[in-house]
This record gives sequence, C-alpha cells and structure tokens, in this order.
Amino acid sequence: MSTPANNIQTEIIVTGFGGQGIILAGRILGMSASLGDNKESTLVQAYGPESRGGACNAQVIISETPIHYPYVNAPHILMALSQAGYEKFTPALRADSILLVDQDLVQPQEVPCDHFAIPATRMAENLGNKMMANIIMLGFCTAITKVVTTESIQATIAETVPKGTVERNIEAFNKGFDYGLSTLKGRERRAAGQTGAMV
Amino acid sequence: MNKTNENSLNILLFLCNWGAHAAFLNLQDEQRPIPDEIRMVRTPCTGRIDRAMMLKAFAKGADGVAVVGCEPGTCRYGSGTATSVRNTGDMQHILDLMGLGGERLRFAAFLPEQSEDMLTFLQDFTADIRKLGHAGIETLPPPPIADTAQRKEELQQLVTNFDIHACQDCGKCSSACPLALVGKAFSPRAIASAVITGGIHAPGVRENAWSCLTCGLCYDRCPSAVNFPAFIKDLRHLYRQSELSGQEVHGGFFHSLMRSLTSPAVKPRRWAGLPEDIRIDPHSTTLFYGGCAPYYDIFFSKHSDVATSTILVDSLRLLNFFDVTPRLLEDERCCGHDLLWSGDKENFSRLARLNVDRLHELGIETVITTCPECFMTLHTTYAEQGFEPQFNVIHLYDFLEEQIDKGAVCFEPLDRTITFQDSCRLGRLENRADLPRKLLKRLKPVRFTEMKESGGASICCGNCAWTGCDAYSKAMQVKRLEQVHATGSDLLVTACPKCQIHLKCAMEDPFRREQLGIEMMDLTSIIAQTIRWE
Repeated sequence: MSTPANNIQTEIIVTGFGGQGIILAGRILGMSASLGDNKESTLVQAYGPESRGGACNAQVIISETPIHYPYVNAPHILMALSQAGYEKFTPALRADSILLVDQDLVQPQEVPCDHFAIPATRMAENLGNKMMANIIMLGFCTAITKVVTTESIQATIAETVPKGTVERNIEAFNKGFDYGLSTLKGRERRAAGQTGAMV
Repeated sequence: MNKTNENSLNILLFLCNWGAHAAFLNLQDEQRPIPDEIRMVRTPCTGRIDRAMMLKAFAKGADGVAVVGCEPGTCRYGSGTATSVRNTGDMQHILDLMGLGGERLRFAAFLPEQSEDMLTFLQDFTADIRKLGHAGIETLPPPPIADTAQRKEELQQLVTNFDIHACQDCGKCSSACPLALVGKAFSPRAIASAVITGGIHAPGVRENAWSCLTCGLCYDRCPSAVNFPAFIKDLRHLYRQSELSGQEVHGGFFHSLMRSLTSPAVKPRRWAGLPEDIRIDPHSTTLFYGGCAPYYDIFFSKHSDVATSTILVDSLRLLNFFDVTPRLLEDERCCGHDLLWSGDKENFSRLARLNVDRLHELGIETVITTCPECFMTLHTTYAEQGFEPQFNVIHLYDFLEEQIDKGAVCFEPLDRTITFQDSCRLGRLENRADLPRKLLKRLKPVRFTEMKESGGASICCGNCAWTGCDAYSKAMQVKRLEQVHATGSDLLVTACPKCQIHLKCAMEDPFRREQLGIEMMDLTSIIAQTIRWE
C-alpha cells in the first residue's frame, strides 16, 4: 500500500452532511499540515444552502511545495460521512486512493481502491456527543494514512475546538486513532492467516 | 526414633497394618539395616492416607514420603491399594508443580514374606532422598496462644475498627444472607451482637464465623456500612490465636499447600507443559499471574472433570492475540487469599512479602491476572495490609475491554444460550459487576439471560477460602443451579475457577444430576474461542 504521505502532494476530500463538522475536519487537517508539520496546505470549502443539512465537502491539499491550484480533481484520500457525498466523489477515486467511511452512514459498493470503515458516529454517541464523529474520523485517518503527524493534529484540535471540550475531543481523536491502528493490525493478522485467538 | 541430629533427613513411611507391616516386622526382628532416616507410621490401610495427609507430611517437614501397602488383589479392604496408587500419583504431580519433585513420594506394595525386597526398596528410596537433600519447607510454628487480657483487647480493637456498634440490629443482613435463606441458623447480625456482648466463643457463633461465605452481600445491604466480610476475616484470625482451629475442608490440603509455599526455599515449577504456540517474553515487565488452577485440576480430577487450567492458557492466548507477550513467573506462588480469609494472617504475610519482593526484584510494572481472588489480593489487599506493591495490577477483563473497545475485532456467533455466575470478589468486594457484563454484551450468543439474582445481588457458589463447607453450602449451590436452569440457558458462564469447582460438585448429586447438570465455561475461554479480527 502506497501511503499518500510519500507523495509530494496529497489531495483530500472530506464529505458529508452540513453540520457534521466536515469543514472543520478539513480545516484541522490543513492547519496541522501547515502549522504543525511545516508543509503547504490549502482548503476549499463547498457549502451553501447545503449547510442546513445537504451535502457539503472540504477539499484539502497538503504539499511539500507551494500549491498552485487549490481544487481537488482526483483525491488521494476520500473521507465520506454520507452516502450522497460518497456517491458524488467515488468516480473520481484512483486505484491508489484510500477511502475512509463511517460504516453506519455509508455503504460502499464497488470501490475502485483500498477502503477502511469505522462506526465513527456511533462511537461519538457512546462518548456522549455525536458532534465529535468528525474528530474520530480524523483520528482514524491519521492512523491509517499518516497524512499528518499525531502531535500536530492533536495540537490543532486543542486550539480549534470550543473551549472546555478539548479533553473530550482529544479522547475522541484517540479513539479513532486506536481504531485505525487496530484495523491495520487486524488486516495484517488476517493476511498472515491468523484470525482468532485459538490456534 | 532414629533421629541423630538436626540436619538428618526425615523420611516418613506410611505402612499398611496388614501385609506390608509383617514384612517390616521381619526386618526389625532380624535387625536388618533399615535406614536411620525412616520413621514408620502404621496405618490400617494405605488407601486411607489421603492426599491431604501426604502433603501435610511434607508441610510439617518430611523430605520424603513412602506409602507402602499390599499387592493389588491382596488388599484386605478391596480397593485400598488402587486408591493409594491414585492418591500417590496425584500427589506426585502436585509435588512436581510445587517444585519439590514427585520422586520424593513413592508407593510400593509388598507381601508379608517380601521383607528383603522391602529393605531394598527402603534403602534405594533413602539413597534417592539423600541425593535430593532437604525438601526445604519451613513452616511457621502455630501462633502463640494469646492471653485472655490481650484477646479481649484485640476484640475491642476489632469492634472499633469495623464500627460494629453502628449495627442497628435491623436484620437486613440476615434477610439477604444466602446461607440464612437456605435455612442455616446463621445471622451476621447475631455475630455482631455476640461480639459486642462478649459472647464470641459460644459454639454457635464460632461455627457461624467459620461458615460465613464472606461473599459481601450483607455488607452491600447494611445501612450502616459495617464491613462484615473484612470483619469475619479478622475475627477468624482472632479465633486462630486462641487455639480454636478453623474448619479447613478437603482435609486441609489447600491450606497445607499454601503454607508450604511460604518457604523461600521452595521453588515451584508452575508453568511446565504450556502449549508451544503460547508466546512468552522472559524479559517483559508485564507479568501474567496465573493462580492455583493447575493444583485444583489435579486435586479435583478425582471427583469431577474440571479443567480450570484452560482458563490460564486461554488468557495467555488472548494476551498474545493483542500482541502482549507477558512474562511468567516460573516459581509463582499462591497469592495467599485463602490463608488470609481463613484467619492465617502470619502465613499470608510471609507469602505476600515473598510475592511482592519477587515482583519488585524482577522489575515488574504491570501484573495481569484473570483469577478474581488473585486480582483482589494483589490489587487491593496487599496495599491495604501494608506490603506497598509498586506494580500496577489489572484484571484481564479490563485489559480485554480496553483492547476490544479500540475496535476492529468482532465475535463469532456462539450457538448457545448463556447465563452468568458472578464472582463475589470481583462483583461485590471490588464492586466491578459491570466489567464482565461489558464483555458479555459484546459476545454473540443466541441469548444472554441474567439469573434471578445477579450482579451485585448475585449468590455465592457456596464456599470461600476452603473453610466451613456443609450441607447448607450444598443446598445453596442447588438453589443457585435451579436459578441457572430457570433462565433456560444451556451454558453457564463463570468468572472464577472456584465457582466452576463448587458448582460442579453440586451437580454430581446422583439423584438430581439430570435436573442440575449444565455445561460451564469461563468467560475468558468463550472470548478466546470466538474473538476475531474484523
């Protein structure tokens, strides 16, 4: 699996319903890359009437070199929190892209690339606030794609989220991050033929 | 008889009164050179020398024990020889586990005329024991008998420590006590009153104090929060100091075992025969503490087919599954729980000191255990009793819950209907009844039904600390098993090896086997069998 972090320029689309914190997730990714990891980043946010519940998306580009064009044509990473968003951007995916979905909100079909699923919204509800699903997705994304470093994204989250919720948001991030690591480990194990605890 | 000096070895010879003793008499009459170390105990039948007696011989300082009976077929009582062969076989396994070596115990059979053969046997055995040297068990002398004044003072101290005067005489404890509810003349409240009024040595009170399950249900219900289980624990200690011995069951086998393990010179070989696929790291700072299950399996194999060691193997598999390769303590000793809870604070302290020092010496940072008694003792009691453990103790369920909660693992469907027997140590004394339930809810059985009394209100499996088992314990176990069957389940999930042993014992009832019998499996084993990477 080629990790997007190896590429000079990583293009990301975060998509979902308005109100899920899609734009914030994109903002945190871009800010972590530029402020924390000393890279270049851009953010294009697409919403309008959609912020009242329709589809919205954030397009983020993270690059080692200056970025000349901020729109994403073929995302390296697609993070989908709604079926509509998923369907809209799937055709743009490349064979080496990575698709990350909330498994309770998106039913992926015939995905052209590697994909990973997490019950982010359910996990956020268990943590007491489903508004944190986006942060859980960020944790998941960080663990799987390593597109930004853990330290910088945690620092960005701490600065970005509303005061008084920092601790809970970091907890949510860690949940998603652990889930991501666990998913990767599970894949590795299954590939090695070890599925259960018994031999 | 022949003891020459302090350093000489002690070899105990249990000799059957019938065939073998005649041969021995011949040797004595003819002044044949019987080794000096041998001390002979004449018994009516070697079949009556049970495993507890054999172990007690070692615990009291024997370096070798020979059990010499009659040839199979010449046993006066029919089955004595067969019983003895089986008992000695079991004990040899136990001695191997304890690190003393099964070769210190030997069974032989001789006809009356085989005196020369017997002499050869005794000489060979003695030569072997001389090679092995001392067994190294040093037991504490029994506690000095406290004088009356001191005893009174200690009793007063107990009353103050546990605030027994706070008892409102409301009787909620007695109406909750599972022993009282099956009809035993047992009342926590009455014990409390007796202690206040100075009647603790009345026979009824004494008997009650030894048969208390220390399950903690009364403490749970007490509006004045009188910690009755802890109080009983200390009361038993007080009793032991005034010569009134406890009612150790199974012939005191387990108490002898635990006391033997308090000797620093005894180095158990606790983990022999572990499956090869288990990954262990001898340098890890995370230690898996197993507990006494292997001893139980050998001891109880005579009565029923319990296999509690599988819980330990499955625990290790689960740790491996989540990439933890723990260290194992080859010379792991007992945690001392049952000694403390049967009033033997002195020997408990010796064990606790040895354990804590050993773990510190190895630089252990985290101890993981699946036995609820080990967990409570290592986690809570050691600190309470001032042993200052510097390591972190976590229950395997906590570890599993944390790991599973990280996600990406799932459970295969379990084609069983299940119910759950709580462990009193984890559920009530540690107040963690929710912990196994979190894991149970993750499983995918056909159905999970709680029993009528569950969680914090759960009924004990019938016994604690190997003391005071009687007909009421059995009645209680039967009641519990009826509750199990009332749920319509076909698998009883347990969380403590002792629950399995005790409930299995109640199921052995030949008249009610059909109604009471149900398969049991530890929660750890179920998880190990059904967990999968997603």
